Amino acid sequence: MSGIYVVVADEDGVSALTDRAEGLRSEGSAVQVVCLGRRGLEAARSSNADGVVVLDAGDDDLRAEAYVPALTALLVDRGPELVLLDATVSGWEIAAGVASGLGVGLVGDATSLSREGESWRAARIVFAGAAVETLAWDGPGVVTVAPGGQSAGPVHPEEGRAAPAVEERVVDADHRVRTVARTTRVVDTVDLAGAARVVCVGMGVATLADLDNARRLASAIGAELACTRPVAEDREWLPATRYLGISGATVHGDLYLGLGVSGQVQHTVGMRESRVVVGIDTNADAPLLAQSDLAVVADVNELLPILLAALDPASVGAR
Amino acid sequence: MPRTVVCFKWVPVDSELRVDPATGVLDVAGARRSISTYDRNAIEAARRTASVLEGELVGFTAGDAHAKAGLKEALARGVDRAIHLSVGDEVMDGHVTARVLAAGIRGLDDVGLIVCGEGAADTYAHEVGPRLASRLGLPVVTNVREMTVQDGVLHAARVVGGEIETVECDLPAVVTVVAEIGPAPIPGLKAVIAAGRRPAEVVDVSTLGLSPDDLRPRAVVEDLAGFRAEREHVVIDSGSAQERADILLAALRTKGVL
Repeated sequence: MSGIYVVVADEDGVSALTDRAEGLRSEGSAVQVVCLGRRGLEAARSSNADGVVVLDAGDDDLRAEAYVPALTALLVDRGPELVLLDATVSGWEIAAGVASGLGVGLVGDATSLSREGESWRAARIVFAGAAVETLAWDGPGVVTVAPGGQSAGPVHPEEGRAAPAVEERVVDADHRVRTVARTTRVVDTVDLAGAARVVCVGMGVATLADLDNARRLASAIGAELACTRPVAEDREWLPATRYLGISGATVHGDLYLGLGVSGQVQHTVGMRESRVVVGIDTNADAPLLAQSDLAVVADVNELLPILLAALDPASVGAR
Repeated sequence: MPRTVVCFKWVPVDSELRVDPATGVLDVAGARRSISTYDRNAIEAARRTASVLEGELVGFTAGDAHAKAGLKEALARGVDRAIHLSVGDEVMDGHVTARVLAAGIRGLDDVGLIVCGEGAADTYAHEVGPRLASRLGLPVVTNVREMTVQDGVLHAARVVGGEIETVECDLPAVVTVVAEIGPAPIPGLKAVIAAGRRPAEVVDVSTLGLSPDDLRPRAVVEDLAGFRAEREHVVIDSGSAQERADILLAALRTKGVL
């Protein structure tokens, strides 16, 4: 049975994937969900899928990755048009294992996906956010879909649509990698990702007095204080949890205000989704200024007290 | 004593990439190349593991003629022997890379652990490690940030969303590591000099017994464009500091972000 196969490696995201699959299937082909163990089964039942296959090794605690051989065998037998997974840690590993077993191409973290007959195209971010590559292939392939970026799909299931048939298969698992423990990661309480406004300190903020003023400015406008990687890692002025960019946090609020931030791509990948971007720097050629809605050519040291006087006169008066 | 293998990729340095502001085209050719940042962490982690396993540490890279230049850096970073699997001008994707690396690694006997970066600095595709494991019939542990090897067993902690999964796995195995596995110190002068005395080998892909299907890329890059943000780009660069601040504040109020 050919068609588009949605593989559920994690509990979430099933319906978003089946909706996407629905839009990509060819005339007359079906959307099949494959559950690795029973995770995601309830969501799969209430999705837009035509059928559900449960691969069950009889152990609810088994890691999803343990199903790669059984999943590969199923897919080799079925001959899918496309295999879709969410781009999660488990999804990446399973996708690559399955692509290898099928001898087909893999697109990781796809931000868009389209087809014309048997020709497929997908876009993904490369060079840590500096560029977008478009990959093309013919025939079957495996794609992991990057989170976000898509509008909510239709209501599940579509009205009048029959619940998908569920087929259960008892399979053997790959027990070579054994889970010893799973512990919740200690996450910092700073929620930069959810911040509506961010004031970001770059290496152009030269003194601790300026840093203090940046902190006052952030508090005056209800913003979180963030920084670039060297401010955290080299100067150690702020904790590493507050730096933006590759391997750091990503913000996408209403306002990003960069103070003395040069704007290398390693940083901007963490802030460029912000609605309004302001750059303040003495160097008119700083890359951040070229990527700002409002580019202010000025010395942060000189500008900060003026901004504070306007936005938080009490704080200035108290000093 | 079992060998440790580490795979690394020779990539354009991303801080040297330039996007043509008019056309949006990404200039990759003008950038210097180096060993992918995360693969440096992988080499250091592999070096530490190899010292526990007390066997040879062999570094592999698969790529065009440029990639040969990476051997010297890998040797300076502590691999005992560095091998460039030279594929000429063939287009490579994850499928081709994994098949070439697997063929090269099969040429070694007694391999205990194969270390790869979770992703390369250019494509970060989360692909070659698991494909390599699949091809070699070995178990794989991905996204690893801590690992030790003891009595022929790999103990690893991997980051899985909001959780840390601790796993163990008998050797031989493939492991893919993230940058948190540990820093990659810049090699000192002594290490660089010592590297000059260690073997750097170039193996032509035609000698590896691969089929045309092994070397046929499955997905090819059709377009590579610099990421462009749509911004208003209003430049405030005249008047006194007070005037510039006033213009900025007025604009922010108009946009409703103050």
